[in-house]
Amino acid sequence: MSTILQSLQMMVERGLPTTILLTLGLLGMGLLMGYPIAFLQVYGPRPVRWFCHGYEQVFRGIPAIVLILLFHSGLSRTFGILLPAFASGLLALGLRSSAYQSQIFRGAIQSVSEGQMQAARSVGMSKLQAIRHIILPQAFRLSIPPWTNEYSSVLKDTSLASAIGVHELMKQTTLIYTRVQFTRGVEWILVILILVALIYWVLTFVGNTALGYLEKRTRIPGFETKGQVDR
Amino acid sequence: MKKAFLIVLALGLTLGMVAYAETYKVASDTTWPPFEWADAEGNLLGFDLDLVRCIGALQGFDVEITSYDWDIIFDDVGSGRMDIGASGATITADRELKVDFSNPYWTSDQAVLVRVDSGLNIITALAGGYTVGAQLETTGAGIISGLVDEGIDVELTEYTLYPLAVLDLINGNIDAVIQDEPASVASATAEEAIQVAGVIKTNENFGLFVAEGDPKGLLTLLNDGVAQLKANGAYNDLVTAYMGTDLQKVEAAWKASIGLLNDGDVVAFAASMATLANE
Repeated sequence: MSTILQSLQMMVERGLPTTILLTLGLLGMGLLMGYPIAFLQVYGPRPVRWFCHGYEQVFRGIPAIVLILLFHSGLSRTFGILLPAFASGLLALGLRSSAYQSQIFRGAIQSVSEGQMQAARSVGMSKLQAIRHIILPQAFRLSIPPWTNEYSSVLKDTSLASAIGVHELMKQTTLIYTRVQFTRGVEWILVILILVALIYWVLTFVGNTALGYLEKRTRIPGFETKGQVDR
Repeated sequence: MKKAFLIVLALGLTLGMVAYAETYKVASDTTWPPFEWADAEGNLLGFDLDLVRCIGALQGFDVEITSYDWDIIFDDVGSGRMDIGASGATITADRELKVDFSNPYWTSDQAVLVRVDSGLNIITALAGGYTVGAQLETTGAGIISGLVDEGIDVELTEYTLYPLAVLDLINGNIDAVIQDEPASVASATAEEAIQVAGVIKTNENFGLFVAEGDPKGLLTLLNDGVAQLKANGAYNDLVTAYMGTDLQKVEAAWKASIGLLNDGDVVAFAASMATLANE
């Protein structure tokens, strides 16, 4: 029992903060980049649209671990840019997440009917004004349910950063089960892995519940995503 | 007033000294007892790590240790992102292409682990059509893939972490594990189900390593440090403390002794480790 409690404490103290920081960083980066990319992909001039399309295709088409290694070892080997491990992880996974998030937002933007844009333009609004006052508020609401999904997947992607030496939850876990194997026996590896799975699950559950609450709060009768999930 | 002045002066001097002690970033795959691992409180210890700490104490630099995955250490030390690699690394020609090694500080052989009930010996385990596990890009993995190339009937499964290879061995997914002798002995001591089937005399030399070309001039510090530790007996004491002893005893010894090292008394630290770990 004391091994379990001590392991949990070590995970929470030494691994969890970095995992949470990285998750928030990735979501924030994806959000800041994803919305502009999505709007440019829908309403931008043609060459910009092509560029955004290419960006999104490239970053959605490469496995996360390859991106991480590219940004970590690739940059340092080829260009001599020595980013700290956390920064290369954030950059690689953040750009990837921005590509995924841009498609979530594009879907939300395009589900606001085109007629609304035309109507806004016909009453004298500029394209930007129409986006700001008509499209964005609706698209934001509609994007929350699929964005919940992105939160869940980004949270767990952070474990890949352990490969380049980011000391997050999974890295801490390997240290714990190494020791426990030698001091308590090999069957304890399973116990430790269940503990870390539990922590990831709790994080996912808490995040999804919070986002579900946000979804409820921002709902407008007649414009909600149809149907309801009991929570 | 005079007192205040003195306090400010003392503070200034302390801060100045702290600022002047160079800190070097050390990379280590800390899943490899007795050379490097983390105790229950997350303190990183092990033969390699204390060796570097002791060198630091002698040569006047601080060390900041980061836990790494084994297969990326050479890249990150080679590129200069990390300053020193201390991870039970055998000096090989391939690795020399990426990093520069210190003088050898340890000589190791490879040991083959098997399940006690399997009845395998070192010959049948490696040539009887069995599957052998090894950590990715280690000397052990190199030996097995060499055997495969020679057409010998053996299969290699590679793992990113050494403990996972041992787990798979115990679970019966593979038939043997090849790894440096001290790590294998540590595993066999901890697990009743497995034993060392035999040792392959490879006489490999372990070296600490730095970026190629040694831009920070660390090799002299490291080599000179190891030589000093061998001369003053601290090296032997660390060997006595870490090799073939119970890990939990070593951890307790380390916790009781580390204060001495923090005070800069390398010899007393190593002596205390050797005594307490073998009590």
